[in-house]
Amino acid sequence: MMTRQTIIEKINDFLIEDFEVEEEELEPSANLKDTIGLDSLDFVDLVVAVESNFGVKLVGEDFVNVITLQDFYNLIEKKLD
Amino acid sequence: MGKEKIKYALVTGGSRGIGRAVCIQLAKDLDYTLLINYNSNKDAAEETLAIVKEVGGSGEIIQFNVTNSEGVKTKLEQWHEDHKDAVIEVLVNNAGIKKDGLFMWMPKEDWSSVINTSLDGFYNVTNALIQKLLTNRYGRIINIVSVSGLKGTPGQTNYSAAKSAVIGATKALAQEVAKRKITVNAVAPGFIETDMTEDLEESELKKMIPVNRFGKPEEVAHVVSFLASDKTSYITGEVININGGIYS
Repeated sequence: MMTRQTIIEKINDFLIEDFEVEEEELEPSANLKDTIGLDSLDFVDLVVAVESNFGVKLVGEDFVNVITLQDFYNLIEKKLD
Repeated sequence: MGKEKIKYALVTGGSRGIGRAVCIQLAKDLDYTLLINYNSNKDAAEETLAIVKEVGGSGEIIQFNVTNSEGVKTKLEQWHEDHKDAVIEVLVNNAGIKKDGLFMWMPKEDWSSVINTSLDGFYNVTNALIQKLLTNRYGRIINIVSVSGLKGTPGQTNYSAAKSAVIGATKALAQEVAKRKITVNAVAPGFIETDMTEDLEESELKKMIPVNRFGKPEEVAHVVSFLASDKTSYITGEVININGGIYS
């Protein structure tokens, strides 16, 4: 069982490394699109990154209520549960 | 760094007509392994593959019916499972049928089957591959449409509607994926010498074609091959006519 802390660290790691997000932008309340700057195509890469890091396959519908980074952490935690 | 992937070009309806000519031209011009799709005519697909090999290319055939959404998905997923070192970088949506007749007499079945093959076929195959193309960050999608989809052809309301719809999808998708170096274009042939036009009276029809003849499948294939190349990075959402001057 992966702890929430590990999930957060893993997600932050690939956002910094693969999505060129600045570390200081990684506030849980940050808006994925407006603050972190992910565009709709970046979500495709997010799906791939989640699959390779967590072995979970996300679909478009999973992102319907994902607005902030916090929402995204929650989504992954729920999926792994 | 991962190993360099083997790059494939998938041509739907690649066994005959324009599809076959496209396979052969791609094999001659570009460094892609061909993935030749057919629905029912395996012999014709094998024949295309043999010609591809004759001209120095390589490839394989793959059976699926483009109208069968689940079938396409399963087949392509399986193919990717079996070809972990491969990436389909070029997709030519060519599969199409016609069922001509006056609209007044057109059965729903003829309307639907033509739309299912061209329009749903475009969705089924492209949608099954688009995520992989996006993560590949390079790709070429070429949709074979028709002059009928631009000017409309009497007796072909179904075919004109289907092709016109694919043109709309071409323009929209082009804008969605452009950032990822994927171009999406359409090629719109006029009268081309294939099985699809063999029942037509060329001697009569050519009078209205400024070039005064039907086109050859190879002439369409050259345009497709150009669009599939890396020389066309700045052409996207475009429809290229190839019709001997009947419409522009």
